[in-house]
Amino acid sequence: MSWRDHFAEYRQRLADMMVGATLGRYEHELRQQTAELNDLFLLLCFMEATALPNPATLYLLEVYPYLLEQFHEWHRRMGIQHSPIGSLPCC
Amino acid sequence: MLLNAILDHQVVFFGGKGGVGKTTCSSAFALAASRRGQRVLLVSTDPAHSTSDIFETTIGPEERELLPRLSALEIDGGREAARYVAGVKADIQRMFSPGVVRQANRQIDMAAQSPGLSEVALLDRMIDLIAGRGTSYDTVVFDTAPTGHTLHLLRMPDAISAWILALVRHRRAVIEIDRGMEQSREEAAAADPVLAALERRHERLTELRTIVTDRARTTFVLVAVPERLVIEETARAADELGETGIAVGGLIVNRVLPEGLEGEFYQSRKAQEAVYLQEIQRRFPRLPRVIVQQLPRDVYGRDSLALVSAQLVA
Repeated sequence: MSWRDHFAEYRQRLADMMVGATLGRYEHELRQQTAELNDLFLLLCFMEATALPNPATLYLLEVYPYLLEQFHEWHRRMGIQHSPIGSLPCC
Repeated sequence: MLLNAILDHQVVFFGGKGGVGKTTCSSAFALAASRRGQRVLLVSTDPAHSTSDIFETTIGPEERELLPRLSALEIDGGREAARYVAGVKADIQRMFSPGVVRQANRQIDMAAQSPGLSEVALLDRMIDLIAGRGTSYDTVVFDTAPTGHTLHLLRMPDAISAWILALVRHRRAVIEIDRGMEQSREEAAAADPVLAALERRHERLTELRTIVTDRARTTFVLVAVPERLVIEETARAADELGETGIAVGGLIVNRVLPEGLEGEFYQSRKAQEAVYLQEIQRRFPRLPRVIVQQLPRDVYGRDSLALVSAQLVA
């Protein structure tokens, strides 16, 4: 390994450390915020499952399969063992 | 004034209160445009379709050529919804594992029961006809349902657009926080199939809006008869159409009594009609008006339609 490679590696580690030091402090907060935004997104997509009218229902049909996984994660995270919405029995 | 000015428009809606002659006028206009060499598609969006009756044939939900350069179809919202749902299911079947397909289908079947779905499906078919295949026809003429239903339908794209846009923003925000600095905004967004699907839908609705609010390409013709209730509803429709951004290009006053007849009944009717005609002039001063005289017989079949055509287009 030449000194150039060493230097590049050293620089990369330093960069990772800086990112970690900066983001790490906020990571928990960021994750929580993402989770909350995601929950709201799910609610907006599955509104008619809660009997609220949604003008875009037709156009959401094609994204349902992608959201099922997210929905499952959501109710587990909420501490609900099985799907709380009868029409959405994901597990 | 005649409707010649709007003959070259890409999209022409005919609307008005129930029973004023929307089908007669739209069919006569479509016939006139096709006889002048335009390729015309006449589309009925009224759940109680009458275009089949007026052309004395069966039209149905698929495009059918009635005459040279004149095709027609009658959109059925329920059928469009079923077709749309079947299409989505087929796509999902190809892309996901059987387990996911089963769950997704259950959710889709449930959502397909939601009220208003057939209306959105009807709108989606309209978008196909207006924005999807601009080249196969020069003009698409819509024979719409009575005023309230049609105004609701024409306001829907904005409501759906706003909704989808909110979802897009939300999804983007989630993706941005999630991906952090490792990926660029574009890369992260491009990799998300949900965002891609939503944006595709939003683009289509935006395209529809661009076309229907362009007064050089789209116009709405109001049809009325000289009667009190009809005048009131037509005035409201004109105001509300203004709010949707769709230009009102003309007002057809249909079933006006012919001149020079005799008899007390006729004189009384004609006198009352004159009052209403004046009122129409006063209430719609800037709208080009076309008077269509009542014919001695019902309008159905090509020959009698041509008599109306001659009054609409010179």
